Amino acid sequence: MYFDFSQNYFEVFQLATDYVIDRAALSDNYQQLQSQYHPDRFVNNSEQDKRLAMQITSYINEGHKILHDDQMRARYLLELAEVAFDAEKDTTQDMDFLLSQMALREAIDEVDKDPDPLTALDDLMIKAAEQKKQLSATFQCSYANQEWAQAKEAVLKLQFFKRLQHQISSKQEALEDELL
Amino acid sequence: MALLQISEPGMSTAPHQHKLAVGIDLGTTNSLVASVRSGVAETLADEQARTLLPSVVHYAPDQAPLVGADAVPYQATDPDNTISSIKRVLGRALTDIQAQDHWYQFAPNNDSVPRIKTAKGALSAVEISADILSALKTRAEQTLGDQLTGAVITVPAYFDDAQRQATKDAAKLAGLNVFRLLNEPTAAAIAYGLDQAAEGVIAVFDLGGGTFDISILRLRKGVFEVLATGGDSALGGDDFDAAISHWAVQQLPPALQSDRATLRQISLQARQAKEQLTQQPAVDLKLSQELTVELTLATFEQLIEPLLKKTLIACRRALRDADMRQQDIAEVVMVGGSTRVPRVREVVAEFFQKPLHTEIDPDRVVAIGAAIQADVLAGNKPGDEMLLLDVIPLSLGIETMGGLVEKIIHRNTTIPVARAQEFTTYKDGQTAMRVHVLQGERELVSDCRSLATFDLTGLPPLVAGAARIKVTFQIDADGLLNVSAEELNTGVSAKIEVQPSYGLSDSAIEAMLQASMQHAEQDMLQRSLREEQVEADRVVEALDSALAKDGQQLLSAAELSVITQARDALITIRQSTDQAQHIQDAIKQLEQVSEEYVARRMNQSVRSMVQGRKLEELQD
Repeated sequence: MYFDFSQNYFEVFQLATDYVIDRAALSDNYQQLQSQYHPDRFVNNSEQDKRLAMQITSYINEGHKILHDDQMRARYLLELAEVAFDAEKDTTQDMDFLLSQMALREAIDEVDKDPDPLTALDDLMIKAAEQKKQLSATFQCSYANQEWAQAKEAVLKLQFFKRLQHQISSKQEALEDELL
Repeated sequence: MALLQISEPGMSTAPHQHKLAVGIDLGTTNSLVASVRSGVAETLADEQARTLLPSVVHYAPDQAPLVGADAVPYQATDPDNTISSIKRVLGRALTDIQAQDHWYQFAPNNDSVPRIKTAKGALSAVEISADILSALKTRAEQTLGDQLTGAVITVPAYFDDAQRQATKDAAKLAGLNVFRLLNEPTAAAIAYGLDQAAEGVIAVFDLGGGTFDISILRLRKGVFEVLATGGDSALGGDDFDAAISHWAVQQLPPALQSDRATLRQISLQARQAKEQLTQQPAVDLKLSQELTVELTLATFEQLIEPLLKKTLIACRRALRDADMRQQDIAEVVMVGGSTRVPRVREVVAEFFQKPLHTEIDPDRVVAIGAAIQADVLAGNKPGDEMLLLDVIPLSLGIETMGGLVEKIIHRNTTIPVARAQEFTTYKDGQTAMRVHVLQGERELVSDCRSLATFDLTGLPPLVAGAARIKVTFQIDADGLLNVSAEELNTGVSAKIEVQPSYGLSDSAIEAMLQASMQHAEQDMLQRSLREEQVEADRVVEALDSALAKDGQQLLSAAELSVITQARDALITIRQSTDQAQHIQDAIKQLEQVSEEYVARRMNQSVRSMVQGRKLEELQD
């Protein structure tokens, strides 16, 4: 039995290397791979087999996480296309976008004034998800046309939404903690 | 990366060879052991047909420890030597433990492992838990008639790395081979899932004696996938008792409020009162010879309301982590003795808007699930497709500048998982670096749980920011952490098993440390040679780039020739010698002859900085 660590994640999950993926197939193949390689299958084997099973399932889990997440999958596709990312320098210059992001972040702070802050945050989360969907469509189009600069711009913007969603859930947790 | 070959897993056992495996529920209040016999999972009883083993141990001098029902009477007569609720201390630091919750005395000691004073000396929670596990092991071997090949031991999903490690240590001490640590709610779902072949998303609400867990799981084609877990590792039925005790103490005259015997008496009655209130609307508490008070169900429910609120907030959070809403939940499973309290069932049914599963005895369901999993892992059911995908319950991070925590692996990530993080040095020539690993969800180091601190040493001395240290955090299927580190430019590697900041000095870890120390001695010469080689390369490179810029301009031909000679000598020695000292000497020699050149360069760069600037600007 082999596991080829040189496969990219799309290959591991037997999916076409594309932004639009068959989620049912991802999920099915994920479970199939886990059934095959999970360390629980090797409880009675040698330490080396156990360690190997752990490494393989770690790789599978990481791949599943990346393919499952829209932003991570988009970025991963660009990396496969050898589009470079630089965490220090990369950011979007789109002023309108940055202003709308600032407005959304202010809205998070404003929920404290709302009589039902938790619901207000839920609404914000839905709003963010809708805008994110449009960006995903933009990425899909640019990626298909191999317009790498535009595609990368979309990924960087998606990153903003990721942070935003994270801030919303942190705020939710902070509010919940206050209720304790 | 390389192509790897995996040997064929020899999973299937010969048909006649049934391996004895058990599931153990090591509980705060009660513990159980269960096994699959003739295809049916059942809890194992002692000679007197009792399945629950109270998690109570009594220690007397020159006697084997008494465990379970036999130890319970000593709670009243010899409280200092009778230990209960030890699970609350397992894997925790003294500072984590709230003194008022416990009646036993902690022995003073110089490490941070809490040790409890008993007639058998100062004992750690690992040792006391091992006594409970030994009793269960003996019971299982007597009932099943042979030695055990292995056990699945359940832990609250919310247990952190230190608590899981301590559980494993206790099992090792009791002579058990641990197949796997299993989250309690997952075990409960196994018990229900296989019985009923359910598919869909289920919530497991597990309120035990000392811990609360909420888990959201998806069952599909024989795979149990934990989507999210949450809860509180210090919330449970004991807190209900404590709430009653606290209320009762307030009814006492002030003189008696700090009388230890009275408080102990009240504490014992509190548990009974809670149990009776599941059947009747009011109960009498005899606080002292003269004073009896009535506790009504309504008052009791008021007392526990804040605790129930906490559980629901955790449910909300787990749903969000699982990306689910209340209406997505198909089934709600109730686990743990405390779910017998009617008010608990009411609020949970209300929250999920669903009828609850309470068919299996909530005290036994975890052990039964663990036994089923143990049977599968032992290989007794070849062809059984059941598989359990678990998640890490708490985020794992490292300390960064300013006492902040940077998360490396977020909570509810499916395990096993490996994540690498790159670090760099912040000072020229820095050869060591400290990494502080924490577990928790908060931003500040002070709000998270410190797991371990480890030092990376032997880094090649490079200019600030040039070293690239890749630290890999690997979490195994039990949720235990392993860290390894490597400097990418030189391949210098250090491997560190994470030792809990307040853990026991495990003999295995000690042995490992010893081995690594011997190893280090052998490595040291090799390493320092490598370090000097890297340093030599760096010096030559820096010199060459400087000479190319301004060598002609700042040096006379004679000066230049002296420096070039020393440079060439260094390169020759670096290639030919295996003595670090030789290289070091050559570097020193080169540095010496270029001292004047370096000084001139410095002056020149200061001049160019100052030129065209006002004095005020420079004084800022």
